[in-house]
Amino acid sequence: MSKPPLHGIRVADFCWAWAGPYGALQLAHLGAEVIRIESATRLCPSRQIPPWPDEQRGVNRAGYFNQYNQGKRSLTLDLKKPEGIAIAKQLVAKSDIVIENFAAGIMDKMGLGAAVLRSLKPDLIMIALSGYGATGPEKDYVSYGPPQVVLSGMSSLTGYQGGPPMQAGFSYGDPNGGVHGTFAVLCALLHRAKTGEGQYIDLSQREACAMLLPEGVMDYTMNGTQPPRMGNRDPYMAPHGVFRCRGDDRWVSIAVRNDEEWRGMCAAMGQAELAAASRFATLAARKENEDVLEQLVTAWTRERSAEEVTRCLQQTGVPAYPSLDGKDILANPHVAARGFFVELAHPEVGTRRHLGIPWKMSRTPCEVHRPAPCLGQDTDYVLEEILGLSREQVTSLKERKVLV
Amino acid sequence: MPARALEGFRIIECGEMVSAAYAAKLMADMGAEVIKIEEPASGDAARQRGPFPGKLPHPEKSGLFLYLNTNKRGITLNLEDRRGQEIFARLITQADLLIHNYHPTRMPALGLEYERLARLNPSLVMTSITPFGLSGPHKDYQATDLTLWNAGGLCYLNGGGPGSEHLPPLKPFGQQAGFQAGVHAAVASLGALFARVADGLGQHIDFSVQECLMGMAEFAPVVASYAGLVVSRLGTKPLQPLDLMECKDGWIFLCCVEEHQWRAFVEIMDSPQWAEEPLFADRLKRAENWDALKLLLQEWVTDQSADELYRRAQARRIPFAPVSTMGDLLSSEHLKARGFFAEIVHPVAGTFAYPTVPYQFSATPWTLRRPAPCLGQHNAEVYGGVGMRAQEVEHLKQAGII
Repeated sequence: MSKPPLHGIRVADFCWAWAGPYGALQLAHLGAEVIRIESATRLCPSRQIPPWPDEQRGVNRAGYFNQYNQGKRSLTLDLKKPEGIAIAKQLVAKSDIVIENFAAGIMDKMGLGAAVLRSLKPDLIMIALSGYGATGPEKDYVSYGPPQVVLSGMSSLTGYQGGPPMQAGFSYGDPNGGVHGTFAVLCALLHRAKTGEGQYIDLSQREACAMLLPEGVMDYTMNGTQPPRMGNRDPYMAPHGVFRCRGDDRWVSIAVRNDEEWRGMCAAMGQAELAAASRFATLAARKENEDVLEQLVTAWTRERSAEEVTRCLQQTGVPAYPSLDGKDILANPHVAARGFFVELAHPEVGTRRHLGIPWKMSRTPCEVHRPAPCLGQDTDYVLEEILGLSREQVTSLKERKVLV
Repeated sequence: MPARALEGFRIIECGEMVSAAYAAKLMADMGAEVIKIEEPASGDAARQRGPFPGKLPHPEKSGLFLYLNTNKRGITLNLEDRRGQEIFARLITQADLLIHNYHPTRMPALGLEYERLARLNPSLVMTSITPFGLSGPHKDYQATDLTLWNAGGLCYLNGGGPGSEHLPPLKPFGQQAGFQAGVHAAVASLGALFARVADGLGQHIDFSVQECLMGMAEFAPVVASYAGLVVSRLGTKPLQPLDLMECKDGWIFLCCVEEHQWRAFVEIMDSPQWAEEPLFADRLKRAENWDALKLLLQEWVTDQSADELYRRAQARRIPFAPVSTMGDLLSSEHLKARGFFAEIVHPVAGTFAYPTVPYQFSATPWTLRRPAPCLGQHNAEVYGGVGMRAQEVEHLKQAGII
């Protein structure tokens, strides 16, 4: 079988929390050897937060870490010690890519700035993911995923009709910043393959979030206005919403794209007379009477399960799907049939269901081959097999607490 | 002229709306030569969606379309017609990547069959972005951005918080499923182009938007898998403050994840006595007792200016953020200094500021070569490039194929 696309590419991964690790996860999914540089002296927040199986804490038991670090290796290194920095540099010199998501300037302070690292490996690709970017008057400001959504403008556009601005989930800015970073790294890798030239990439997660709002940004640049918050509604489709179903907090999403689909939906609901009603016959009419329209739809959905509504509407070609919760995701028969889930034995949490890779490649299949690493599990491998240190040197470093 | 990272890659994009167009836009903006194929009569559905200048619909003036298609060339072609498919085959022989988001039920009729295209061009990478992938019991289900956001489990996580049981799960603004599918599919596509460097062979990528979104669903699947619990918009947050609050002149996101951030915030508030209550002793307690804490904070925040509080907090390294409006974005000195917006001239729509790219490359910076194409703008040039004579192009145009 062919090797995965990034086979042979090594990534020195200084990331922590979520944005950087999510970006590096995509590189691991593509087959790169991703080595997380971690330390028990500065433990990644994602190793310290619930959920843990049976509520038993443990740095290797955190579900959040174990989901977003699949396929990676872990090297423990105390970067407060000069010897730790020296080893980090040796690893960078043998890597193709460096990825980090500290606040701007932190890597420089540690002596691991772009100029230093690129001098160690002239064709190195280095990416820094920060909230505000590495330049500009606010470059020293601090940020996490949740405030980035707010700062990008997305929150001012998101919310129930007539209600306050709202978040977009918990920390949408993180995976979005991370995956835009992966895209940038791959561009640089293709450029390097052609020219031999490496480069430094400065990514702003706030800007990555602002990329997702053209209907808002362009309304402002064209008209000086911005769209009002409109809940789940859409200016070009109706009904368009998330409707209550039978059961405890169960919901189904429905989007009717045109008049023909509306007539199909009326038939599916067994209310053919609705299709003839002029107050709903056209998009303009449905938009005008949307409150009543949504009440009628809800009256039908709330007597049925979300799955039943979905089956019924999909049979007539109307887009509908249950609003899945976490348990529904894990029990989803469709993605299970596609082999989306990853269930590998992990030494401390056993075999649990994780989410896998959202693409299938026909010639160079991508697969998760190893569960997320236990803290420091690959330290010996990295030092001996990649950096060529002797067993004695490694033991000595361990005794001096450099490898913690 | 600076080097461009994806210079020389020839990409064909077809489909509707956001996902394939955003993937190809990201590549075009980094230097790839993208040819966008649209259906002859109406073009990409994104042309029909606003915003429009003066709110007047016009197929060459959609802000969504103009943004999604910078740096591309545009042609029209009827892929449902046999002659259209023959011309498509000629384009395919010269392409490195074909990326599309046509529904699986339409792919055979449009000639989008990988095996056949691979015979024409074995080095072709073909990326099929579909709502639920190309296999499995739901593969033919219809979907929109809203239903996919729900199918990925993200919608269930967002909404009003405790006490808002009567309100439905809430989608975020815009076309977020389309954007996430686009950037993730671009990642997979560039991965396959990198694999091709070694042996020159292409392949087919089956990309599922639903799976992509499930993989971003934050704590939801992990909490289910590790603790057997359901996370929803109605639950309390694990840490606080981590919430939006209204100031006298706008909204601000209060965010104290680390203890030093909370201590610094307490000092900014002039160290009120209640802040020392054991109820608020650490971030977990502050989350447990958020009902009480929220009222106390709201009382103080009400009199503050959002921007001033933001600046004061940031000066103490507290990651607060104001709720930016679109006007705030466009007038941000920081974004100006970074060149995030650029004025782009379009021959029909006019000149407007657009977001450019969220990253700055030291060797291969973003460059603007052309604004979004008018419908069929590059027909003569592109069809000429595959050896078609002007007369032939004109004839096919009359027949509604181009």
